[in-house]
Amino acid sequence: MKTQLKVLTVCGSGTVSSNMIASKLRDRLGEYGYDVKTIEVMPGAVSSALTSGDFDFIAYTSPIQGTFDIPTINAVGFLTGFGDDEFIEEVLTALKKLGK
Amino acid sequence: MTILSKDLVIIGCKAIDGDEVISGLARLLESEGYVKDTYLKAVLDREKIYPTGLFTMPVNVAMPHTDSTHVNKSAIAIAVLDKPVKFNKMGGGADDSLDVSLVFLLAIKDPKLIMETLMKLMTVFQDKELLENLSLAKTKDEIIHYMSKLGI
Repeated sequence: MKTQLKVLTVCGSGTVSSNMIASKLRDRLGEYGYDVKTIEVMPGAVSSALTSGDFDFIAYTSPIQGTFDIPTINAVGFLTGFGDDEFIEEVLTALKKLGK
Repeated sequence: MTILSKDLVIIGCKAIDGDEVISGLARLLESEGYVKDTYLKAVLDREKIYPTGLFTMPVNVAMPHTDSTHVNKSAIAIAVLDKPVKFNKMGGGADDSLDVSLVFLLAIKDPKLIMETLMKLMTVFQDKELLENLSLAKTKDEIIHYMSKLGI
């Protein structure tokens, strides 16, 4: 049974970069045995999205305002490919702390 | 159908900041009818809120863009900078900047094409040799040649 994850991905438009991040996340975290569900939003919609579901972490390419109870991880390097491994490592570390 | 054109390339761009690069490229797009007269301001405004400077190797790039409502038909305008200019980093704070040598100004009309174009651009941005070739290009033809190899 794969570990289920729910991730909020955030970019300026709430569609393009966040979708690319989401699809890469599903692939890369799939290799580590995670089943990843994602919701893509723009920065202004983060707070309301968080109230609607149990997200494990936020991956963003646009700065998000406020403080959150879940880890927020910069995904720009993951988008460009310059920093893929660092990003995945940061995610795995965060998941470990969450006990997932 | 390609969205590249020699008419949309600036080699040896002498702009002193990001806004000037964007303005120069947007003027090309506008004069060729690719974008509406609202496009330039929309890109500049968006760049302030959601900057698009990216750390890549061996030179950094930026890919300013805006909503497709300001676009008539899809195109990418490209500037090769004489000297790098500052762009704020995507995902970074207000004073988080980097020196950018290549600027890809995106004007994409079809929402489906946006994702496809961005994925192809990311392939370009991960190719160090290609980015080096683009940054050293002396002619517009070279730029089109290198970019079209990727099916853009």
